[in-house]
Parts: sequence; C-alpha cells; structure tokens
Amino acid sequence: MRYNEKELQALSRQPAELAAELGMRGPKKGSVVKRRLVKLVVNFLFYFRTDEAEPVGALLLERCIVAREEPSGFSISFMEDPERKYYFKCCSEEQCQEWMEALHQASYEFMRRSLIFYRNEIQKMTGKDPLEQFGISEEARFQLSSLKE
Amino acid sequence: MKLNERSVAHYALSDSPADHTGFLRTWGGPGTPPTPSGTGRRCWFVLKGNLLFSFESREGRAPLSLVVLEGCTVELAEAPAPEEFAFAICFDAPGVRPHLLAADGPVAQEAWVKALSRASFGYMRLVVRELESQLQEARRSLALQRHSSCKAVANRCKPQALDYWSLGLENGHSLPRDYSPVGLGEEGGSRWAGRALAEGVLQGPANLLLGSGQSPVSPETSCFSTLHEWYGQEIVALRRRWQQRTQGSQAEYGEQAEQ
Repeated sequence: MRYNEKELQALSRQPAELAAELGMRGPKKGSVVKRRLVKLVVNFLFYFRTDEAEPVGALLLERCIVAREEPSGFSISFMEDPERKYYFKCCSEEQCQEWMEALHQASYEFMRRSLIFYRNEIQKMTGKDPLEQFGISEEARFQLSSLKE
Repeated sequence: MKLNERSVAHYALSDSPADHTGFLRTWGGPGTPPTPSGTGRRCWFVLKGNLLFSFESREGRAPLSLVVLEGCTVELAEAPAPEEFAFAICFDAPGVRPHLLAADGPVAQEAWVKALSRASFGYMRLVVRELESQLQEARRSLALQRHSSCKAVANRCKPQALDYWSLGLENGHSLPRDYSPVGLGEEGGSRWAGRALAEGVLQGPANLLLGSGQSPVSPETSCFSTLHEWYGQEIVALRRRWQQRTQGSQAEYGEQAEQ
C-alpha cells in the first residue's frame, strides 16, 4: 500500500489532542520499553524519538482496543490481531486515565456512532432533524443506514 | 516512518460503511512521471472516514494506495486527457505533489469533491459537538418542563411525593458521589459531554450499548433495564437538583408532613 510519508509527517505536526513522553514497547518479541514522545492527532497516534523532529511511526486508531495494563500503563491492539499489543507506560494513574479517555474518542467510527445516536435522540425529543438547518441531512456519512447491525 | 499497515488495510476492507465509492482515473503511482500525462489508470476508490483508499478493482482485497484527508483542500483541476472531469487533493506541505484524480462525468466529479472536502476528522467532530450541545439543550428544556409539573404535584401532596421519590428511586440506584446530572450540568458545553463520553459517566444508550456491543442507533430495541437505568438517572439527577434548590425549605416540609 502506497502512502506519502510527507503527508503523514505534516499531519504529525498538526496540533495534538494530547502529547507526552511515555515509555513505549512495540508488539515484536523481545522489544524493550523505550522513551518516546507520543502525540495524538485526530485518529492517528504518532511516536517520535525524543531528539528527532520526524516521527518513527504512526498508528491508525480505527478498530483498536485500548486496555489497562498494570501498573499505570495501557496497551493498544487491533481487532484483526488483538494479541499483538503496543504497550505504553505512564507516569501516574491520572496520566494513564487521561490517555485512555482521549484514545477512546480518537476514532472516526466512534465519532460517527456518537453523531448518529445524538441525531436520533434529538429527533425523538424535538421531532426535528438537527442536521437539516445545516443542509447536511442527506450526507452519506450521517445516515442511519450507514451503520451495520 | 512505520504505519500499522495491516490494521489500516483491515479497516479499508472492514464492514464499516464507506462514505463514497467509485471508479476514478489516477495519475499517481510507482513509475509514473512527475507531471501527469496520458490517460492515467482507472482504479476503484473507497472513501472511509478521513481515509481515501484505491484498489485495482471493485473486488480488490489489498489497497493500492492511501491518502489521509487531513490538512488538504480539494480543487477542480485540468485533466491531462480530454473529456475527463478532474480534481486534485492538495496538501499545504513542502514537497508534496497534489493527487490528481478524474471522474467519468460532472455529477460524479461534484459528488467526489463534496465527499472529499468534508472528510476530515475535524469536520465530523464539529458536527458531533454541535449535536451534543443541542441534545443537552433539548434535555434541559424538557427537564425544566418536568420540573415545573413536579412542583405542581408536590404542592398538592407534598409528603406522598417525597416518600415516593426517596423510596422508589434512591434505593434503586447507586451513583458516584460527584455524579453530575446528564444534560443539566452547569459547566455544560461539549467539553463536559466529551469527557463524559470517554469516562462512561454519560450512561446514555450510546455508551451502554456500545459497551455491550449493541446498536447505539435504536435504544428502543434494547432491554428494559438499560432504558430504565437511562431514564432513571435523569430523574435522580432532577431530584437531586430539586433537593438542592429547596434545601432551605426542606425543614419546613418535614414539619408540614408531621402535622
């Protein structure tokens, strides 16, 4: 799969939802915890060596599983291979909590489900489609039918 | 730079909905000259969220390319071949060439430009936040309506109303001590709601159902206890609010009840 690294690098320079130096360990056997600058930008998690401007890597956060790992850490894995985990070590419980909350929301599909839920609730309460006033009620990405059971 | 490509490809092929699909001509790809020429190559494109994938064919199982639609603009463009309805995805980053694409006709071209220009995560988040605050507003006004009708009932038969509230509801629910009422918080706005969603404090059907793998779309199809919990919390919150407001007159109530 082709992608332009420069585009991703540009994205990694965008304002972050959350950024911190965390301990990070990749999913490969024998990996050790390394200090990384970890940056959450939209639905991508970028990680950098602490002395470098360009990221070492990026994780797309769709279909991911965020889990608590003791002590004061969390892991990210992906639905197609949940055993393959990226571990992150935080400085405190609070920091860990903050990251897990942010990661939980950092998915386009999560946003889509929230939107459809809100739209449906508002329509039930008020009888009006809240998207109509913006002229975007027909848009494919906001349709109930776009969600599979 | 590394990317979790396997997961990305998996997302491309997953059964989550595509936001737009169709055949487009493309002039990018390995071995192509830096300036687009000729008829390009016809590929199947799939837009999913803020990601644009291309495939060899409609049945293709491995994405050929990925463009992340963040920080870019979509503009109408001249196609190198005649009778093409071209547009370009342009990035404002040094050394990044625009992605030139072309649709079969003006209708498809317009639909693609529209879909691509609204594909960013930020756009989706904006709409979500807008609806979040609209829903809070709707709940608030509904709560006010209920509140005033509650007061009417309470005025007519205060002791019974109080007994009902305390026996019927408080025992049935355990709430965190610093529980902030859904849709009634003074510190309203999307920040609170967003945090609440993440923390699972907002125990609306979205969160409850997402958690248990059910559809967030049709809360009415979920089990009664879920709905009961959901609407019950609103009532408990209302009651708490009501108690706070009438704290001063609570003693009076008690005396009246004893008489």
